Amino acid sequence: MSTKHAKAAQRFISNREQEQWHNETLWFVRQKRDNMTMRIPEWEKLRDLAAKIKTHTIDDLIHYLETFSEAAESNGAIVHWAKDAQEHNEIVYGILKQHQVKKLVKSKSMLTEECLLNPYLIERGIEVVESDLGERILQLMGEHPSHIVMPAIHKKREEVGKLFEEKMDSEKGNSDPTYLTHTARKYLRNEFLTADAAMTGANFGIAQTGEVVVCTNEGNADMGTSLSKLHIVSMGIEKIIPDLASLSVFVRLLARSATGQPSTTYTSHYRRPIEGGEMHIVIVDNGRSSIQNTTGRDQILRCIRCGACMNTCPVYRRSGGYSYTYFIPGPIGINLGMLKSPKQHSDNLSACSLCFSCNNVCPAKIDLAGQIYRWRQQLDSFHKASTSKKLISQGMTFIFNRPDLYRVLLKMAPLINRLPRFLVYNRLNAWGYGRELPRFANESFNSMWRKGKIQKDNQ
Amino acid sequence: MSSKQDIIKNLHRSSKLIFPMPEITVEAVKFDDPVAGFLEISRFVGGDAVVLNEGDDINALIRSLYPDAEKIASNLPEITIASFNPDETDDPHNLNGVELAIVKGELGVAENGCVWIPQNVRQKALYFISENLVIILDKNKIVNNMHEAYEYVAGNGDYGFGVFISGPSKTADIEQALVIGAHGAKSVRVIIGNLS
Repeated sequence: MSTKHAKAAQRFISNREQEQWHNETLWFVRQKRDNMTMRIPEWEKLRDLAAKIKTHTIDDLIHYLETFSEAAESNGAIVHWAKDAQEHNEIVYGILKQHQVKKLVKSKSMLTEECLLNPYLIERGIEVVESDLGERILQLMGEHPSHIVMPAIHKKREEVGKLFEEKMDSEKGNSDPTYLTHTARKYLRNEFLTADAAMTGANFGIAQTGEVVVCTNEGNADMGTSLSKLHIVSMGIEKIIPDLASLSVFVRLLARSATGQPSTTYTSHYRRPIEGGEMHIVIVDNGRSSIQNTTGRDQILRCIRCGACMNTCPVYRRSGGYSYTYFIPGPIGINLGMLKSPKQHSDNLSACSLCFSCNNVCPAKIDLAGQIYRWRQQLDSFHKASTSKKLISQGMTFIFNRPDLYRVLLKMAPLINRLPRFLVYNRLNAWGYGRELPRFANESFNSMWRKGKIQKDNQ
Repeated sequence: MSSKQDIIKNLHRSSKLIFPMPEITVEAVKFDDPVAGFLEISRFVGGDAVVLNEGDDINALIRSLYPDAEKIASNLPEITIASFNPDETDDPHNLNGVELAIVKGELGVAENGCVWIPQNVRQKALYFISENLVIILDKNKIVNNMHEAYEYVAGNGDYGFGVFISGPSKTADIEQALVIGAHGAKSVRVIIGNLS
């Protein structure tokens, strides 16, 4: 029984060239990350601290949320609370309507993707412009990010060139990334200048000072928020960290883990509204409090959305972001999807070889693969276990409980080596696709041992 | 019940004793010569830093870096090549088209080439909307790493907005090909001099 992930991945890998490019490009990002971390002797200490700070903050989240909102309000920001996506969207729309906003520029925010904010606002007559280059490309194509940090990683330059010819009147046939980026710069500059409001996500919310920190390379968050009088921040409750000393740990980890840069170009701290303007912070739960309540699973809230787990994941690299059913792909996405709805997203659990590479790169030391393993143990309770695998398990239980039968079968096993190919490699045997099965040894270790064929090494 | 109360009610109460806040003491990277470290990493992130030698004229140096710039914005009295004071404009939109902005940075960080700028111009748009940006930095105010930087930020005044800038605006969103000049400044040059 193939999962939805496996079927979608098959479509992705049918374009061999694209698959190879995707795989190698993301692996290159992983290598850049490694180069960066090797220059920091205290790297592991930083990861350790990050995990501990987040664990502490998530555990004491009530205190930190209250501290943050009080500090933000005393800075002059207006704080809103949203239980779920619906309420988040209503709040944002309410603010925009009150200010008669016609055009909103957004910088990248996975939370607003999660809440499906854009379609909600567009239906109500607001023009929404994504300003991160990758996000803008996808918005114009009517698609969604396939990676949380490199949203358009699945697109080729020729596709972008064609799109810009149509939407931005760029030169025919020119797909040079520099030319295309500068074309977009000109077009988006105009959008920034004519927008009525700007929206950003938040990489961190600092409880002690009530400020919001946003990290970008393009400068789009700052272009938007420094030209509009109205700034709306959309922030999940798990983004809170205690103070600026904690921030120093996360800032050192984030860009190095994400893209292999020592820092993002801009690390912007928003404390007070712009002169004569307003700053709104919408604090969103949307299921996070239930995660915080689940021992073991709560560690998923430590995630700082760097995407390192995707870049290193052999399954993600070779299957692409669209092969997953949840809008966040890769190891973290598998986990977040399961926490959102196990029934809807359990098909992603197959997208893991349990190599644990993600655990080793995660800057917040989340046990991503271990959590996936645990979800797999629960599959049967969601009625999502594969029937063929269940049958095999039952068969193995039967055999392993009967030592005599086991020994007889083991003796007979080498016969399989001599069976005609079509009897072994057929559609009943999923393990025979695309790989050669190992040969059964003619004699088992057990029997060799008994006959004294195994010599003790006396060195 | 308000949504805030709903969310708070849904969260479990802490057991601080089990997960205490760790003490943040990191023996982090240090440089024998932070200025040299800063210069090297600046080049790596695409933002050339230059040293203003004792006795050199800063205006002449900037002019040599940007010989053709005409619309030059600065609120610094010592910058005589500025063509206007950006603080006199009420509307940040008017700053579109500035070819060169010259501002002061407060602190440099040797490990990543970041410069801390707590808002020190009236329109913060200036830092981002200008085609080119020059940041003037005191060579005695370069720290080793972000721990030292945030210790300084936390202890030095209240800011409504502040930003660490490291190099020019960039993107790699098209096929991971690095392109300089996404939305913000296409070039950022930090001039390091003895200002104290």
